[in-house]
Amino acid sequence: MTQKQKALSKEEEILLQDFSRNVSTKSNALFYGNAFIVSAIPIWLFWRIHFMDLLTSSPLFLIITCLSTYLVSFAYKKTKFVLKHKVAVKREDAISREISKMISEDKKMNKKEKDERVLWKKNEVSDYEATTFSIFYNNAVFLAVVIGLSFFILKSFSPSFNYILSVGLSSGLIALLSTGTK
Amino acid sequence: MIKIICVRARKNEKRPATTSPFTMDNWLKICLLVVFAVATTGNEEATPAKLLFSKQILNKYLVEGMDIVIKYSLFNVGGTAALDVQVADNTFGPQDFEVVGGQLKVTIDRIAPGSNATHVVVIRPSKFGYFNFTAAEVTYLPSENAAEALVGLSSEPGQGAIVPFKEYDRKFSPHLLDWLSFAVMSMPSLVLPFALWFSSKSKYEAVLTQKKDK
Repeated sequence: MTQKQKALSKEEEILLQDFSRNVSTKSNALFYGNAFIVSAIPIWLFWRIHFMDLLTSSPLFLIITCLSTYLVSFAYKKTKFVLKHKVAVKREDAISREISKMISEDKKMNKKEKDERVLWKKNEVSDYEATTFSIFYNNAVFLAVVIGLSFFILKSFSPSFNYILSVGLSSGLIALLSTGTK
Repeated sequence: MIKIICVRARKNEKRPATTSPFTMDNWLKICLLVVFAVATTGNEEATPAKLLFSKQILNKYLVEGMDIVIKYSLFNVGGTAALDVQVADNTFGPQDFEVVGGQLKVTIDRIAPGSNATHVVVIRPSKFGYFNFTAAEVTYLPSENAAEALVGLSSEPGQGAIVPFKEYDRKFSPHLLDWLSFAVMSMPSLVLPFALWFSSKSKYEAVLTQKKDK
């Protein structure tokens, strides 16, 4: 009884992990790394073009970059979760076709095993595509909004205030947009 | 003598007025013209040289460390030539300005009546902030016989704001190299995830199209 329960809980655990909002440590590291890089890139613009002093403004840069890293990685995770289900539905057909082509020679494999393999592959592919697309989409929106705000809308503001607002608002905006379900 | 003239005048009265050009009226006009001509010639000779002096800043923006072009114009409105004209601008101290082109003290030998002379100096401010551009000085001899030189002052351009170079550069520089570096920096974070996603997408879409073809 306990063994059966244990086996079941393990299966459930894998299933839950596959389609839950929680992301693995590896994914988390990827998200935080990417978010940090993309949050730090605007510093270049504010240093070189808006002439903010790198040394005296370093505490400000650090705080805003950290805040932005958190918000951008939050947006990555949320967007990934929404996308993963959509991609899984889209790729289902192609993946089952690919798997059946791969294991057509192996006649020993039963249907359950085949289904499991399709499910596993589907999860892997949708995870990969959702992650990469989420990073691309959020990075593009973040950088576009930062440029739009800092060089057009907040152009007349002082550089420090411009930096705080443009980076803060951009990361906040993508975090907000990611919470939408559609 | 008077009598003779009168007699002639009386004799002339008998003649028709239109036949001779030397009528009394015309004589009077000629005399007036001669008197006027003599009077004006005499005045011209007596008027000493008089210089109008203006100082202009030709730049639209005054920027720290960038050239400022200053034009000095002199115009002689007097009747005689101004001699030994010395223009001096002592308003640009060496601690605030550097002379890049031209000279702040210049001597012009002679400015003929009714003619003008211009002089241009290029300076570079070493500091930013407000600066009051005041008058330059001109010294000249109003005529050849003049013992004492006249001193005149130019017009004053007034107060001008010298903008810090950083501020000017921030507004007007295209920053092409900086934008290029920014593009290079941000490209990997956009291109890499897009390429990975696109390769996977096209791979599975190709599988689907193959299936449809079959």
